[in-house]
Amino acid sequence: MLERIFFGGKREQKVIEDIRKHLQILHASSECLKTALMERDKERLYCIADLEREADSVRREIISMIYEGAFLPYLRSNLVRFVEIVEEALDLTKEAASDFELMEWSLDEDIRDECLLIADKNAKMSEMLLIAFDALFGKDDLREKTLAIRIYEKQVDEIKGDLLKKLMDKEVRTFWHGKMLSDFADYLTRISNVIEDASDYLVIINVSLR
Amino acid sequence: MNVVEIMTKKLETIDADAPVYDAIEKMIDRRIRSLLVMPKDERDVHGVITVRDIVNKVIAKDLDLKKTKVGDITSKPLVCVDKGMDVEYAINLMSKFNITRVFVCDGKEIIGIIALLDVLSAALIKRAKEGHRA
Repeated sequence: MLERIFFGGKREQKVIEDIRKHLQILHASSECLKTALMERDKERLYCIADLEREADSVRREIISMIYEGAFLPYLRSNLVRFVEIVEEALDLTKEAASDFELMEWSLDEDIRDECLLIADKNAKMSEMLLIAFDALFGKDDLREKTLAIRIYEKQVDEIKGDLLKKLMDKEVRTFWHGKMLSDFADYLTRISNVIEDASDYLVIINVSLR
Repeated sequence: MNVVEIMTKKLETIDADAPVYDAIEKMIDRRIRSLLVMPKDERDVHGVITVRDIVNKVIAKDLDLKKTKVGDITSKPLVCVDKGMDVEYAINLMSKFNITRVFVCDGKEIIGIIALLDVLSAALIKRAKEGHRA
């Protein structure tokens, strides 16, 4: 009965399905970036831009449905904030892809391993965020999923430390080369932070559902 | 799950002739708890020095950190697992020898390290993924 009050209505179910779709797009986009970096694949970069546009329209739909009355009022702001944080992760993925394109689809050999590892962890985190979202409305333990996200984030933090050390020792050819490299590293390493923030929001939503 | 999937590829090394103090500095700077000790010569083999070795064998005995050589407290030979082995095998080795890390080898080459925390993290992530629809 309680379940029906919270998410049983048609509108609520549609919002849940759309948020799930939004998260699937984030996962697909992270996988695209990972493959693009790994294989220096220009086509993959275009798919990131396409996915970001698709995510934009899904986000608009979710937000308008929520403000049209889906869910109880006290839940709406948290759900909207969650969707906005996921959008932030998508934006960062797109920005990282744009800088990679400006860097002519190549990573310097000395930082390549770290960048690939971070891209891989980002993709795994986005997959785990989807699993955590499903756990919110299912019977699985959300706590276990958010712990997995925090483990990934810690791993990314360690790799980020190594990457920054290498970047600091790097000789920069021109101002723009240095700026692009720095921005690229910044975007790539911030994605995991944002996904962790999103998972924290899931915990808040879970608490507010009790 | 294969050991390669969870191992850390970054291996920090130190020479056997270096003072223990250098090893401590390296561990603190890199935020790690062990270092791979390089062989002294062609007849020698790799070893490992851990925080536990430093505390038990040097600090507890009040030895001089700058005069004691890494080679004096290195554990040898390394406990290695082949890159094709499962994580369960690595866990069994850790348990059997009461150690907190094992090295991953490809033939004679050391390609990574697995610590207890890596095993724990991998187990928790696997548990979190179980039973999920795509």
